[in-house]
Amino acid sequence: MVLRAEHIYKSFGKNQVLRDLFLEVDPGSLCGIVGENGSGKSTLLKILVGEWKPGSGTVQISGRLGYCPQRVTLYPQLSVNEHFSYFGAAYGMTGPEQRNSQAHLLEYFNFGKYLGEKVAHLSGGTAQKLNLSLALLHKPKLLILDEPYSGFDWDTYQRFWGYVSKLREEGCAILVVSHFITEKELFDRIYEMKNGQLQ
Amino acid sequence: MNPDRLKISFVMTLRMLLRRHIVLLLLLVIPAIFLGIVSLTTSDRPLPFRLASLEEEPVVSIPEEGIHFVFFAVASVGFLLSFLALNLIQNNRHVTRRLVLCGYSPTELLTSKLAALLVFILLVSTYVGLLTNILYEIDHLWLFIFSLVSIGFVYGCYGLLAGSLIRGELEGILVIVLLVNIDVGWLQNPLFYEGAQNQEVIRYLPAYFPSQASLIAAFTDYGVSHAIGSAYLYGAGFLLLSLLIYYKTMKTYR
Repeated sequence: MVLRAEHIYKSFGKNQVLRDLFLEVDPGSLCGIVGENGSGKSTLLKILVGEWKPGSGTVQISGRLGYCPQRVTLYPQLSVNEHFSYFGAAYGMTGPEQRNSQAHLLEYFNFGKYLGEKVAHLSGGTAQKLNLSLALLHKPKLLILDEPYSGFDWDTYQRFWGYVSKLREEGCAILVVSHFITEKELFDRIYEMKNGQLQ
Repeated sequence: MNPDRLKISFVMTLRMLLRRHIVLLLLLVIPAIFLGIVSLTTSDRPLPFRLASLEEEPVVSIPEEGIHFVFFAVASVGFLLSFLALNLIQNNRHVTRRLVLCGYSPTELLTSKLAALLVFILLVSTYVGLLTNILYEIDHLWLFIFSLVSIGFVYGCYGLLAGSLIRGELEGILVIVLLVNIDVGWLQNPLFYEGAQNQEVIRYLPAYFPSQASLIAAFTDYGVSHAIGSAYLYGAGFLLLSLLIYYKTMKTYR
C-alpha cells in the first residue's frame, strides 16, 4: 500500500466536509477521485498532501510523494533551470541526480529549449509542463494530480498519458483528483466523493 | 537546517530580487528624492534638541537642514526595508508553500529570506549614508551607516513579522504604513520629541534607538553602542516572533 487514509473527518464550523473517509492506493495503480464542486475533493487533497491537518484520522504515505497543483505554482522571476535546482534541493536530491532527472523530463515533455527562460516569459502550456515536471523530478512513488486536465494543452495531455504508463510500470501510483475524468478505461478505480465519503 | 538547501534558497531569493529592475531603481530614487526635498526646502538655522538616549541627555544645536537630512535618511531606510521584507514574505507565498510540501523547512526558507534581506539592508544603508554625507557632512560616517543598518534591521524584521502574520497584500501594506509613518516618519523627529507631552511612549517605539544612534553618530562624539545594541535587541524580538508565526503558518502535517 502506497497510500492509506483511514477514518478521516474534517469540518469547517458546523459544515462536516469529510466523514469517516477511507482510501487505499496500491503501488502502480491509477485511481481517480471525482465529485461536484464543493463535495470536499480539495479538502481531501490538501489533507493527503499534508497541507491541512485532518480533524481526526490518519494518512500514511510510504515513499516519495509528488504533488502537482492545479494552478501553475512557480516563481515568475526564476528560469526553468533554476526551478529544477530549487525543487531538487527541496527533495534532497544530489546535483547529478537532479540533472539526470531534469534532462529526461525536458526531453520527454519537449521543452528543453526553454531551459534558460524565466517563467514569466513562458507560454501557459510550457509553464504547465514545468509545473508537472517538478512533481516528477524526484521519481515519486505516489503522484497526486489536482485537476490536471484544466491546465494541460493537447501536447502535454498526450505526453502525460504516455508518461503515466511509464510511471505505472515503475511502480508509481497515481491519484487524479478532478471534477471530471477522461480516459476512464485507463483507471483501475474511480471513486466518487459524495456526502463526505468516497463511493 | 541543511546548508546546501539554505544556500540555494538564498541565491534564488537574491536573484528574484535583483531581477525586479523597477524595485532596484526605486530603492535608488526614493532616498534621493527624500533628501533632495530636504535640501530644497529646509533652512540652515541652528535648532537645539536633546539626545534623549544618552544618560546626561545633552542638548546640541544643529542646523535644521542637518537634523532633517539625518531624520529622513533614517525614515527612508526604515520605509524601504520594511516594505521589501513584507514583499519577500508575501510575494509568491503559494510557491514557497509548495517548496515546504516538497521538503524545505519553513525555518530554512525564512532564514534564506532574512539573509537576502540583510544584503539589501547593507546596500541600502550604505547608499543612503553616503548620499546623506554628500549633502551634509556627517561627523562619524561609518557609525552613521551602522546606525542606518540598525533601523534597516529593526524595520526589516518588522516587515517579516507583518508578512508572516498577514496574508493580504493591501492589509500588509497598511500595517507597515501605520507603524512606519507614526514612528519613523513622525515621532522620532528630534524636534517633535523635544516638545512632546509624553516622551515615554516614544522611547518604547522600534525606531527610537536607531534614530538616536543616527543622530549621535552624525553630530557628536558620544558612543552609540548602547543605542545600537538596544536597536538590535528590538529587531531580534520582531525576528523571533516572525519566525514562530511563519513556522506555524507554513508547517505541513506529514
